Amino acid sequence: MKKTLQISRRGFIKVSAIAAGYALLGLNLAGKAAAEALGFIGLRQKGAYDADANAYKLRKSQDNPMVRKIYDKKIGFIHDGPCGEKSHHLLHTSYKDRSQTIKALKGAGIKLKV
Amino acid sequence: MKEMENVVYKDDITGWKDPDGIQFIQVDPEKCQACGECENHCATGAIQPMKNDEKRHVINDACVKCGQCLINCPYGAIYEGISFVDEILARLKDKETAVVSMPAPAVRYALGESFGHPAGTYVGGKMHAALKKMGFRYAWDNEYTADITIMEEGTELIERISKPSKERPLPQFTSCCPGWINFVEHFYPDLIPNLSTCKSPIGMLGPLAKTYGAETTKTKPKKIYTVSIMPCIAKKYEGLRLEMKASGYRDIDATINTRELAFMIKQAGIDFNSLPDAEPDPVLGMSTGAATIFGTSGGVMEAALRLAYEVLSKQTLDAPDIKIVRTHNGINTADITVPNFGVVKVAVASGLTNAAKLCEEVRQGKSPYHFIEIMTCPGGCVNGGGQPLDPDIRSASIFERIFAAINKRYILTKRG
Repeated sequence: MKKTLQISRRGFIKVSAIAAGYALLGLNLAGKAAAEALGFIGLRQKGAYDADANAYKLRKSQDNPMVRKIYDKKIGFIHDGPCGEKSHHLLHTSYKDRSQTIKALKGAGIKLKV
Repeated sequence: MKEMENVVYKDDITGWKDPDGIQFIQVDPEKCQACGECENHCATGAIQPMKNDEKRHVINDACVKCGQCLINCPYGAIYEGISFVDEILARLKDKETAVVSMPAPAVRYALGESFGHPAGTYVGGKMHAALKKMGFRYAWDNEYTADITIMEEGTELIERISKPSKERPLPQFTSCCPGWINFVEHFYPDLIPNLSTCKSPIGMLGPLAKTYGAETTKTKPKKIYTVSIMPCIAKKYEGLRLEMKASGYRDIDATINTRELAFMIKQAGIDFNSLPDAEPDPVLGMSTGAATIFGTSGGVMEAALRLAYEVLSKQTLDAPDIKIVRTHNGINTADITVPNFGVVKVAVASGLTNAAKLCEEVRQGKSPYHFIEIMTCPGGCVNGGGQPLDPDIRSASIFERIFAAINKRYILTKRG
């Protein structure tokens, strides 16, 4: 069964005024609370630092047993160590000058910020 | 078109040849209210009004694909140009293919939000469990190669410090962030020698998966399908870079972001919150605290210093916290005193407008630093363009909508 909410004109104005006030004040308080605390991004950052300090047994890359295993001088997959020949082939790269595209845009009269 | 976690994705990825031909970030003119909020978040000016219209559009050649415009649009008017979700689902059904998951550190500090957890909740264990449940054969972890990146990039830094040259000058810039790499290649190509030659952690895990991973699991590399799971949109571009084939195959077959992963978990009908925590497979999955902080501004720096300190001083670093480099926003600089060496000067910045300031210093030969960490997204990858949306941004739009409407009317009258 459908119910209709009965409300007087005066009542409606009163409720609206309170709701509007609440909305403004509430938003303001919420904004303040967010600024006082870390904010959305800060909470995620804190999550990572907390895990580093509390959840991970080891905290330095060089202590990771699987890192030691891959770089093992005798039997490791990358036995010539970091920045060795095998690393250079698999784990390093080179970059390309792509500034021509930006020059072309600017040449066509497009304004960019950089 | 598919909506995933409140963001629209165009799902057709067929027929790509060169990632430069793909428009990764686009504006829906039907939804754009011309409020201009996106421009406040774009460091290059790639998003701007069209001729004869106040509605914004993306100039692809000037776009670094960071997606800050997308996550900050109050109207949900900006969408992603490609999604690999359908292709991954098809590969997961194929019993012949060994589908491998490779999630980035920052994913596990935001994925929980899609399942009702507060921002910043660590859900790494549940994430690996969900991936296994969906049929990923190996749960490898990009955090493992974050540790490898420290070994490579830290060693490179020490080499540059001991013998700087024209080809390998100081300061050394980090190279993990694909938006930043796009930025340097387009706007500061003269600083390419300063960029670390290290691939990003995912750029390393892809080829290792199809060589070392294939070897240790006795899987044929051509049967391995690598899925990069990122807090990012620019990582989709990076994964498709033509040079990323060091293994002899495409190193990274597919890239999705945190939102798409949340969508896939929900679509699979998995009760995420009741999953028991699972560990990644160790050989390409074990990681340290130094790796997990890669996702936050200052984290790569701190992780690298934990190595550099020990190598340069030949002493053990008893307290690994180097809080001075932790950066919430803007530019942060620090002098780190290392026994038996001296002072290591470092800078950390997030946001490309800040990065550009540091670039100008380097260009003018005035940069005093040894090592500079740059992340495109303010605060780092935790705030990446591929992360679940901050619920406040779209709800605040009630007011912005009114202002934008007035603005629009004003512009129309002015022109009228």
